[in-house]
Formats: sequence, structure tokens, C-alpha cells
Amino acid sequence: MTGGTMKPASGITTRGYKSGSIIYFEGDKSEYIYILKQGRVILTSNKIEQGEIVETKEEIKPGEFFGVKSSLGKYPRDETAQTVGDTIVLVLTLADFETLVLKNVNVVKKMLRVFSNQLRKIGKINREILGEGGATNPEVELFKIGEHYYKVGRYKQALYAYKRYMEYYPNTQYSDMAMKRINAIQSGSTDSDVQTDFEVETAVSDSAADEAKFTDFTLDEGDEQKAPLNDEFDLGGGGVESSLSSEMDDFLSDDSSDNLDDFSFDESSDAASGAQDVSTTYYDAVNLFSQGSFSEALSQFEEILQVKTLKDNAERNLFEKTHFEIGRCQIKLGQYNEALKSLSAMIKKFPKSEYVKIALFHIGLAYEMMKNADKAITYYNKVASMEPKDQINKQALKRLTVLKNKENV
Amino acid sequence: MLLDEKLFEKFGVEYASNEIIFTEFEPGNEFYFIQEGRVKIVKIINNTEKTLDVLEIGDVFGEMAILEEEPRSASAIAMDDVKVLKFHRDNFDSLLQGNPQLAYKLLVIFSKRIYDAKRRLMILLLDDPQLKVMDVLNMLTEHDPQSDLGQPVTIHVTVQEVANWAGMQVNDVQKVLTHFNKLGKIELYNDKVIVNNIRDFQRIVTSKRKSLTR
Repeated sequence: MTGGTMKPASGITTRGYKSGSIIYFEGDKSEYIYILKQGRVILTSNKIEQGEIVETKEEIKPGEFFGVKSSLGKYPRDETAQTVGDTIVLVLTLADFETLVLKNVNVVKKMLRVFSNQLRKIGKINREILGEGGATNPEVELFKIGEHYYKVGRYKQALYAYKRYMEYYPNTQYSDMAMKRINAIQSGSTDSDVQTDFEVETAVSDSAADEAKFTDFTLDEGDEQKAPLNDEFDLGGGGVESSLSSEMDDFLSDDSSDNLDDFSFDESSDAASGAQDVSTTYYDAVNLFSQGSFSEALSQFEEILQVKTLKDNAERNLFEKTHFEIGRCQIKLGQYNEALKSLSAMIKKFPKSEYVKIALFHIGLAYEMMKNADKAITYYNKVASMEPKDQINKQALKRLTVLKNKENV
Repeated sequence: MLLDEKLFEKFGVEYASNEIIFTEFEPGNEFYFIQEGRVKIVKIINNTEKTLDVLEIGDVFGEMAILEEEPRSASAIAMDDVKVLKFHRDNFDSLLQGNPQLAYKLLVIFSKRIYDAKRRLMILLLDDPQLKVMDVLNMLTEHDPQSDLGQPVTIHVTVQEVANWAGMQVNDVQKVLTHFNKLGKIELYNDKVIVNNIRDFQRIVTSKRKSLTR
């Protein structure tokens, strides 16, 4: 090595080289970083092009750094640096370099972008050699990730992948399938026939299936366990609303109705949408609701009301249910007046709907939250007397007990 | 390097053990700094989840998102209860401006990643399975700069890991290693390989590589 003597590692030093000098060789280990001050430096390295190693030369311009990566990464030099003509460089230790860049964040930013680009390129070549690159379609591949985890029974991971798929690629090739998988995982029926078409399945999920599920629910002990919580109900507290509503959530997930004789179209719409849109949007919204994202869920549900043409009973059912869901979201969001409006409007619009009872219950709930106990009691009484007697009646009776105890205190 | 508490308040996210942080092929807009716990980087290859890397406190992942949105090339899954700082690309510039230490740290990480990726490429470009396996062992030796190359070198690695690095089937790697073992070049264990003369391996690979260079 030619050039001036190297000072011990403290402070930036200047070094002069004659033409043709080697500043460092490929494979050398050193922590020095250089800045070209004057003259020319050529870096010679082996690069990969079309699967072959090719010797490439790169010229450093005055003011530019070199030797940065190997120094920072504490790796051997991966290029040889040679001068052309008389050359002056600044020599920095790692500590000097750190001090310098911490004062010049813009330099770091620039370097990061260059490095990031390089890394991407190398990564791409690596993947191509491994046969992992090429014409993959991220949309399909993301769905396949979900399928992989689904098939090996890692449902949590599968659920994540399907949800991302629905988020980024709604209304694409596998969105029905992804939605079906999400529902299967969330309802715990993951062993159902994977080939069933989603729309068909929705259409046939009629009262028979629902009754079975309701029976299961009635036998559920969870109800009794939650009872003491309700007894300690304080109108001012927020905790009860959630415990109550989460009980209600259990009802709602399985409800359905095929009685839609009095269905009417919503006037305020701008685009006709297919069945896929309604069910996808609906279940997206249900997911959001279950994750506690109530305002996002609300706006998704409101989107469904914009749909002009409903293809079949399954869609009509979801459309009707959506009206109720909107009220429920509003209660969760504390928008009780809006909830009262939505729920009353729903009952007017679909007076024969199976959801009338649960809508009435929620009206009672909204009043209760608004500390209007009298109104709440009126609605709960109505619900409690409605046939057929089921969990909703029980819930209403429970609320009535709680409210009456309050009055007596 | 652990960043200060204020950053965690603003950018901190927690993941439970086994939770997916991001998955392969989803668009990537954020990069992450591990503050607590371990994160594994995995890829589904031939219907098997392969672990490419296990990252720990102070490590960064998802860093390719710094430049532009591109589908993630692997999945990140929490191995423990994990705390990370999650930064969106859009905040990147202002984030660096306020945290030059972070900028420097990223620079170091990128330097290492680039070197590792290049080094891996050098292995993949070798056309002979024996050379590939030798060079994986060379590379892993380079990772420990303290090792005395004149002595037998102990490398903590499994056959599966060697196969991942070499881009080869586990069976094929097993054959090569068994062969080396018989020749007395290495001692093969379940969780480690002792190379008796790593310089020999280095020389063989280097000379072969030179002949490949145009």
C-alpha cells in the first residue's frame, strides 16, 4: 500500500495516493471509511449478471463515500479500490463516520435509499435462482398462504391471511372462498366441506339450521355466569353495556330470515352491485364489529344500504339484517338517538321481520343507556311478552329485574 | 439499541406469541424494530413453513418497505410476546430527522443485509452441491470473526439450515455432509458441524469461483 502514514484511529485524516495505488483489496478487513476528496477511484467487484459472475468497475466521484458497507457491516471488503491519477481521500474511522452522519441525516437518508435499492436487486436475483421469483401473482399467493395455514389447522394464521386478502383484494377471484373460510374459522366449523360455494351455502342457511344453533345457545351456561355482573348494573357505568351487548352478539351471529315479502328498495343509491358485494361487505363489517371497530363497521353497513339491486333471498336477508346491525353499531358508538331512529325505521320497513324482537330489545337498551328507565322498561316488557319465547325474552326479563331493583334502591 | 420511551408511546405495537405481524405477499408499507421478544421470518415453500431467520431485540424487519410498496417476501410471526416499533414509510423522513441514531442503526443493518444477501448469492451460483455445502460452512465461519481458522472450527448449524442457505434439498445436503464426515473432513452432529480444516474449504471454493468469473 502506498500513500501517507495512517494515524491512530482518532479524527479524520487526509491521505494522498499516487496513480494506480490500491487503497484496499477485495477480502481485506478494515473499519475505515473513505471520502474521495480529489482525483479518481475505481472500485472493481464481481457482480452477478444473468446468473454469471462478471467483473464490474464503478467510478467514485469526488465527495462520495466508499468502503461504507463493509466497514459498517464488519465484513471483508467486497471490492478493490484503486486510484487513477494522483488522488486525495479522507479517511474516517467508524466513530468519525458515526459522528459525521449523525449531524447530516440527509446523507444517511440518501445512503439508505441506495442500500435499500441494492438489497432489493440482490434479493430478486436470489429468489430467481431459487426459483421463487418470476411471475407470481401476489393476490393469488396471499390467498394460498391462507390456504396453507387453513389446511394444517393453524386457523389464527389462516384467518390473518384471509382477512388481509379481503382487505387488499376484495371482489377478486377467491374473495368468496376467503370469506367462506373466515366465517368457517370464526364460527368454529372449519371442517365443513371446503368445496361448497359460498352463495349456495348462505341461501340454504334457513330456519332449520338456525333453530339447531339456537337450541345450542339455550343450553349454554354462559348466561348464568354472566348474571351476577348484570345484577351489579350501574346505569352510569360503561362495563355493563359491553357485557350485555356481547351476550346479544351471540344471538345475532346466527339469525336469519327468509320472510321478506314487504321488502322495498332503498331510494338513495348510486350503483347496482352484485351478490358478492353485499355478502362481502356485510361479512367484512361483521368482522370489523367483532374486532371492536364499530365506526368502520358502521360505514361498511351503510354502504350496503346503497345497493340498488338484490339478487336473491340470501342478499335480501343480509340487507334486512344490515338495518338492524346499523342500530347496533350506533349503540356501541354511544349514538343512542341515531340508534333509536335506525331501529324504529327498520321495524317500520320490515314489520314482519324476525329481527323485530331483537330490534325492540335494542331500543330498550338504547333508552337504558340514555338513562330513560321508563321507556326502557316499556320496550323490555314488550319484548318479554313476545312469542316465541327465547333467549331475547330472557334477556329482556333480566334487564327488567335489574331496572326494577334499581328503582327500589 | 433500544429507542426511547416516547417513540414506543407513539409507534409501539404489541403482538402475542404466534401472532402474525405480516404475511408473505401482502403489501408492505411499514418496517419494524424489535423492542422485546423474538420474531421469526418464515416462508411457505412446497407446503412447508420454513424458518429463514429468527430476529431478536434491536433487530429490524420489513425494512424493504422503506423504499416503496412491494409485496412482502416473507412472513413475520411473533415467537413470544413481542413489542415492536412500527414505522410507516410516509413518516420515514421526519422520523430519521428526529432520530439520527435510528438512521445510523438502519445504515448498519442494511450494510449487513446486503453483504449477507450477496454472500448467499455467491453460494447459490456454485454449480456443485459439495461446493455449495462447503461454502455455506465458509460463510457461517465468517460470521464469527473470532474463530481461529488454523484450528478445527465448530459451527452451530443443522442440516436443515445448511439446506436453506444452499438452496438444496435436505436429503442432498445430508448426503454431502455424510460424505465429508467419512472422508474425515468434518465431524457431523445433530446441531453442529466441526470442520477440521476450514482453510481447505475456503481454498477449494475460491479457486472454483475464480474459474467461474469471466
